[in-house]
Amino acid sequence: MSEILRCENVIVSFGGVIACNNITLGIEEGKVVGLIGPNGAGKTTLFNVLTRFQDCDEGKLFFDGRDIGRHKPHEMAPLGMARTFQNINLFSEQSTLSNILIGAHHRIGNPFANMFGLPSARSNERALVEKAEYIAEMLRLTDDLDNPVKNLPYGHQKRVEMARALAGDPRIILLDEPVAGCNDEETADLKEIVRRVNQDLGITVFLVEHDMSMVMSICDHIYVINFGANLAEGTPAEIQQNPEVIKAYLGEEEDA
Amino acid sequence: MHAKVSSAQAGAAALKQAFRRHNIAAVVAMFAAALAFPFMPGVEGWMASQASLIVIYIIAAQGVSILTGYTGLVTVGHGGFLAIGAYTSALLSKFFGVDLVIGIVAGGLMAGVIGFALGLVFLRLSGAFMAIGTLGFAFFVGTVVNNVPIFEGREGISLPDNRVLGMEIGDVGFYVVSLTCLGLTTLFIYRLVHSGVGRAFMALRDSERAAESSGVNRLLFRTLSFSVSAAITGIAGALNAHIVNYVSAEVFADIWYSVDFLVATVVGGSAMMMGPFVGGVFIVMVPFFLEELADFAFIFKGVVLIGVLILAPAGIAGVLARPVQAWRARKLKALQQTGDAE
Repeated sequence: MSEILRCENVIVSFGGVIACNNITLGIEEGKVVGLIGPNGAGKTTLFNVLTRFQDCDEGKLFFDGRDIGRHKPHEMAPLGMARTFQNINLFSEQSTLSNILIGAHHRIGNPFANMFGLPSARSNERALVEKAEYIAEMLRLTDDLDNPVKNLPYGHQKRVEMARALAGDPRIILLDEPVAGCNDEETADLKEIVRRVNQDLGITVFLVEHDMSMVMSICDHIYVINFGANLAEGTPAEIQQNPEVIKAYLGEEEDA
Repeated sequence: MHAKVSSAQAGAAALKQAFRRHNIAAVVAMFAAALAFPFMPGVEGWMASQASLIVIYIIAAQGVSILTGYTGLVTVGHGGFLAIGAYTSALLSKFFGVDLVIGIVAGGLMAGVIGFALGLVFLRLSGAFMAIGTLGFAFFVGTVVNNVPIFEGREGISLPDNRVLGMEIGDVGFYVVSLTCLGLTTLFIYRLVHSGVGRAFMALRDSERAAESSGVNRLLFRTLSFSVSAAITGIAGALNAHIVNYVSAEVFADIWYSVDFLVATVVGGSAMMMGPFVGGVFIVMVPFFLEELADFAFIFKGVVLIGVLILAPAGIAGVLARPVQAWRARKLKALQQTGDAE
C-alpha cells in the first residue's frame, strides 16, 4: 500500500512558540488514520499545514508522491483532498444543496461557459446536482436539501459538512474533530458515516479527535504527538498500552 | 440506496416548479408593463427619458450587487466604471460614428477588462482597505477625464444622434434599447447566480476558508466578480452617455454616482434579483418627489440607508418578498403534512 499523504520533518513556529517541531507521519491509502495528542500538542497546526492553510518553516509535504509544499488551499480539492472544520463552517444562508454543490466546485468546468449558461455547462450542472442529491440521500439529508443550513439541527449540519466534503469525489478526507460538541447519538451516527465513507466509498480518512472511544474504535492506525513532536504510533491496541502515551495524557505517577 | 419518492415529495417538487414559473411570469409581466409605458396615453417624451434614467440606475446597481451583494465586497468606486463605459462609447461614436449597440457592448467590455486588471490589484486588499481602494479609483478616473485632452474635461463632448442598426431613434426608442439591455443583464445575472460561478462568489462571501478548501480560487473568482460587476456598470455608463448625447467631466467625474449605486444596491436588497430594481427606482425618484427640497436628497437617502441597514438588512425587496415567501412556505408545509399523514 502506498501513502497518499505524507509529511516529513515539519517545523512550524509562531513567533517564539514552536507548534510543530519535526513531525513526520504518513497516511496509507484506504485506511482510517487518527491523530491524537493532549491540548496544545500541535494537532490543529499540523492539520492546517496538510490542508495548506498554514505554511511550514521547514519540512516536506507529499500528496500521492507529489510535492505539495507550495500548494495553495484551493489547489488541494482538485488533487483529491477534502476537509471538514473543527467548528462547523458552512455557508449558513444558503441551502443544503448549494452547500453540497460547492464541494464539487472543481468540477464546474470553464467559468465563462458556466457563467453564460452554455449548454455544456448546464448539462454538467445537472450531473453535479444529481450527484449531490445522491450524496444527500446517503447521508439522510434529502428533506433538508432546499432549507438554509442555518435552520438545521447540529447533527444535520455536521452531515452537510461531510456531504460537501464528499461531493468533490475526494481520495482522502481530513476531519478536524468530527464529533466535537455532538451528543452520544450524533457521535454514533458520525462514526457510522465515517466507517461507510471508508469502507463503501474507499476513501482514506485522516482525523484529529479528542473522543478516545471514537478514535480507538474506528482507526486502523494512530499517531500520537505531544509538544509538537512525534510521541508514538501504532494500532489502537498498541497505543492504549504505550506507557509514553499514558504518561502524556495522565501525567507521570509520582514515586511514593 | 434509492429511497422511494413519496407522492408528497413529488408534489412538493411540482409546487416548487410552479413557484419558479410564477416568478418568471411576474418578471415577464413587469417587463411587458415597462415596455408598454411610453405608449400609454398621457405619457410624454420626458417621462420616457426619466424612465430610461431609472433603467440605467438599475443596471448600474445590478453591477454593484454582483460584487457587494453576492461576493460580499463593498465598492464605493463604481462611478469610475460608469465613466469608463460612458467615455468608451462616447469616443467611439464621436470619432467613428458607431452604432449605439456597438457602443454599449464596447463600453461594457472596456469596463470589464479594466475591472479585471484592477481586481487583481484591489482584491489583495481586504475589507475596508479594498473599499477605500475603489474610492481612490473613482477619484483617479475623475482626474483623468478632467485633465486628459481627449476627454475634453468640463467642456464635454457632444455626440451625434443615436442610431440603432442604422435607424435613428428618439427618447422612446432609447428607452426601449435601455430596457432591452436591462432584460439581458437581468437574464445574465439570473444565470450567473444559479451557476457554479455564482455559487463560488457566494461561498467566498459566506466563508472564505470553507470556500477555499472546497477548491474555490479566491483571487480568480473575486477578480472575475469584480470584472463582471464592472462590465455591467459599464453598460449603464454607455447608456448614460447617450441618454442626452453629451458627456462631460462635470457629470462623470462626480464621486456621488459611486455612492448612489451602493445606496441603491443596499436599500433595494443587495443579494436579491429584485433589489437593484427597487433601489434604482428609489434613487432616481427621491429628488423627484422631494421637489423643492431636492437639495436634501442626500440626507434623505442617508436616513433611509441607515433605517434599512438596521430594520431590514435584506433590503426593501427583501421586505416585500417576505409575505410571498411565507405564503409559499405555508403551502409547502401543508403539502408535506398531508404527505406525512398518508
